[in-house]
Amino acid sequence: MQLFIGGAYAGKRTAVRERFDSPFWCSAYDGKGLDEWRSAIGTEHCLVLEGWEEWLKTELASEPDDDRVRERMRGELESIRAQEDVHGLQVVLIMLEMGRGIVPLDVGDRRLRDLAGWLAQDAATHCEHVWYVWNGLARPLV
Amino acid sequence: METTNMIAFVSGGARSGKSARAEALARRWHQARGGERYYLATARPTDGEMVGRIARHREARGPGWTTLEEPVDLVAALDRVAPGSTLLLDCLTLWASQVLYASDLDERQALTMLDTMLSWARARNIALVVVSNDLNEEVPPRDAEVKRYVAFLQRAHRRVVHEAELAIQVVAGLPMYWKGNEWTGKAQ
Repeated sequence: MQLFIGGAYAGKRTAVRERFDSPFWCSAYDGKGLDEWRSAIGTEHCLVLEGWEEWLKTELASEPDDDRVRERMRGELESIRAQEDVHGLQVVLIMLEMGRGIVPLDVGDRRLRDLAGWLAQDAATHCEHVWYVWNGLARPLV
Repeated sequence: METTNMIAFVSGGARSGKSARAEALARRWHQARGGERYYLATARPTDGEMVGRIARHREARGPGWTTLEEPVDLVAALDRVAPGSTLLLDCLTLWASQVLYASDLDERQALTMLDTMLSWARARNIALVVVSNDLNEEVPPRDAEVKRYVAFLQRAHRRVVHEAELAIQVVAGLPMYWKGNEWTGKAQ
């Protein structure tokens, strides 16, 4: 599993496209739910999961407890990682860095920002390679 | 040090030390190359605080700079720079906001202007250091206009970085080299 993380419009998608040949995209921006990654199992060689902040928003809307949201996402990451091994699937996660501004006034934004940070940390522990994308360039952190 | 025709991009957060880093780089390039040394200010003195801020920057730079002030038209500004000189552009963030909110240019025209400035700088042997701010690593703005601004600024950043031999992210006054190395001037 690999993680590409960076700010908005930093060039994350391009960085992924440059490194992976015709992957299957499961994107929240296309209205896909997180659980739809399962449809790629057994049929695709490379799966890209993007739009995690949108999936987090969905979780946060129905679960008031942040720890539970984190646990649920952690569980999902573990399932993805396990399937990757079993099916020889290459999984690429694209996540948005959003922790570097001022503390948001809106409680929903604060929760989202916290969960996004924790999710990125949890994801990184499962990844062999982590890339930080900045202004169209990518550098390996791990 | 290889200093011919180089373009550098220097960015970072507020008060990260990016201007000082960019100025030092421009000074070194100027010393090695000769010619004139120019400072292109995109800031427009709109209020008292801005006037003070511009004065502080000017004082910190010290003497030896020819200051050009041009909020939008980068190509016109470049036309005032003698070939073989060194030019420090500070900063792209303000340029981007003036393009979107105080000019008749659309985004495509503005990016073409930016491309033209980069290629003319090369053609005229002008070493160029471009300063900007990283504004895209916070919770995505809800406001559509702010979103458009961040997206436009990022497009501008990616173009400059793509062209540049040297791309530096400044954190706590220290450089992180994304492209090249300012001491050798060599691409990594």
